[in-house]
Amino acid sequence: MADTRAETQRPRNLGSGQVVLLPAEPIAEPTEDRPSSYRFTDPGLSELPIDALLEELLNRIQEALEVDTVAILLHDTESKQLVARAAKGLEEEVERGVRIPLGRGFAGRIAAERVPIFIADVDHADVLNPILREKRIASLLGVPLIVEGELIGVLHVGSLQAREFGQADLAVLQMAAARAGPAIEHARLSAALQHEHDVSMLLQRSLLPKRLADMVGVKVATRYLPAREEVGGDWYDVFELPRGQVGVVIGDVVGHGISAAALMGRLRTALHSYAIEGHGPGRTLELVDRFVQSLSESAMATAAYAVFDTYTSALHYATAGHLPPVVISGGEARVLEVTPAPPLGAFPYGRCPEHELSLESGEILLLYTDGLVERRGVPLSTGIEALAKAVRDATTPEDACASAIADLVPVVGLNDDVAIVSLQSAIVPNELHLTLPAEPRTLSHVRRVLRRWLNERGADDGDIAEMTIAVSEACANAIEHAYAPSPATFELHGWANNGNITVTVRDDGHWRPPRGHNRGRGLSIIVAAMDDVQIDRTADGTEVVMRRHITGK
Amino acid sequence: MSLADVQITLVPNALIAHVTGEVDMSNAEDVGATVIRATPNEAQGVVLDLSGVDYLDSAGIYVIYGMRASLQARGQALILVIPPVSPVYDSLRLAGAERPGEVAEEVGDALAIFDSAPPPGT
Repeated sequence: MADTRAETQRPRNLGSGQVVLLPAEPIAEPTEDRPSSYRFTDPGLSELPIDALLEELLNRIQEALEVDTVAILLHDTESKQLVARAAKGLEEEVERGVRIPLGRGFAGRIAAERVPIFIADVDHADVLNPILREKRIASLLGVPLIVEGELIGVLHVGSLQAREFGQADLAVLQMAAARAGPAIEHARLSAALQHEHDVSMLLQRSLLPKRLADMVGVKVATRYLPAREEVGGDWYDVFELPRGQVGVVIGDVVGHGISAAALMGRLRTALHSYAIEGHGPGRTLELVDRFVQSLSESAMATAAYAVFDTYTSALHYATAGHLPPVVISGGEARVLEVTPAPPLGAFPYGRCPEHELSLESGEILLLYTDGLVERRGVPLSTGIEALAKAVRDATTPEDACASAIADLVPVVGLNDDVAIVSLQSAIVPNELHLTLPAEPRTLSHVRRVLRRWLNERGADDGDIAEMTIAVSEACANAIEHAYAPSPATFELHGWANNGNITVTVRDDGHWRPPRGHNRGRGLSIIVAAMDDVQIDRTADGTEVVMRRHITGK
Repeated sequence: MSLADVQITLVPNALIAHVTGEVDMSNAEDVGATVIRATPNEAQGVVLDLSGVDYLDSAGIYVIYGMRASLQARGQALILVIPPVSPVYDSLRLAGAERPGEVAEEVGDALAIFDSAPPPGT
């Protein structure tokens, strides 16, 4: 470290009571009187965490040099100051967060000139740190901590009795400094990396949906598993779209760390925005591709995006450089056909062809990222087959996620992060039996359930539209009746019999005669839309029974 | 996902309100109030474009009548855009209220009605 200077430098007096010492010859062997010198190179030290390592080094220095105080100050490159980091016999230095400007005082000059300095008499020397005087330290010896040519701090020892520190003492202190320097630097770097990892993880987590909205017509489950070391850019989203549609997307940003996490947040927002505009999966991915192309930094990502129509069970999907979705149905799992399309941001004017299928009641769509199926030395198709095998018996989206992870994720953890989204076309019961909160916002929920149920019963678009408005009007009546202060509910029942649909809406409020144009018109709609309507008003409540024959599709 | 959306466009003589989504008792009053609030005094009236509405219930129909009344009180007209084959037309037909005011099939036809009328103040 400093031994090249040995030939060019002579001991010199800095004035102010400070003497620059010649750097000592490295100690080749333990000497009789200093057997503990070697203990600084004890390999066991490197196993210790930074605080324990510093503590141990300080103890050994104190013991080896028979000094009263030992202190380590670290160089803060931003403020150009030395900051007390660890101390023995001078704990106040750390507690008070002592800061010494580079180039001033005892430690400041050691750091600025990168030389060992000896002070025989603190009382008559230029010492900046008041604690050294308060502690009545008589003599001091300090050396710079240098790692790969960079100054990282200062290590100094002190004695309450005035004493000489000679070349042998300096050799011991330099050896300790040589040990402490790289250890501190390593700990600093890993702390910085850990910090970046933590920030990336936090960002990544904050950019995934916290909880998924309860959506009519589908059941959804998701998983995100971080990689063992790095934070990746895997993401997913599930959102409602107009007209009973649900969008489900999974993606993987190329790269790791904060920038990947930040990009995934932007992609998630961009995709959701284009989807809400009403674009289909293929066009939506193409627009996200144009968005990625327009970013100033070069970026690349893969994604698979599907739109499920909860009224008709139609599923439209497209992929951009992403692995094919899997559909689970009745004990079988099949890998969907995809037309290969380039990743987002890969080529100008990339096209994403769209595919369509029907995701029947109970069937499960599974989207995943490559971390789940990619294993070193194993073909990708083998991994995808293993996934299909793992999930084929799943009957719920939760099942599908759990089985995939149980079979494919190694116990030791992952090299790449994994995201999974699973969406099931909800099983539509033959009969509807619903208890619903008597609130206006319930109406849109009722209409979505009803449209899907009527579709499954074989009603055509005209039947569905007219019956939906009639039932919604009957529910609106029930909601208006509910003026109890406590949360009120009403009941809706529906069944089919020989091509006849019967729906009843029952509340426990008192019937109120139609007021003005509005409710009178509601009743007209119900009567006009259904073949047969009965309204039973009793002291216990009101029941509207509606029947209509469906012509069928 | 909000149930409906209202997009407002101002043209020289009128305000065009393009409504999309579903209008029911949960949002009908808000939709109506949004349009009325946005209507400048100097406009001859409002073109309420219901061609993009997927669902309209009796509460929505009631609000349309209310809008017409408040615009009339300000000397302004309400023209509805309702295609003959549309969910809104179905609702009005079931309610027996096919023409809740002046109706045009397209926004262009509705604007032509304003253009042919003399500008206010002459």
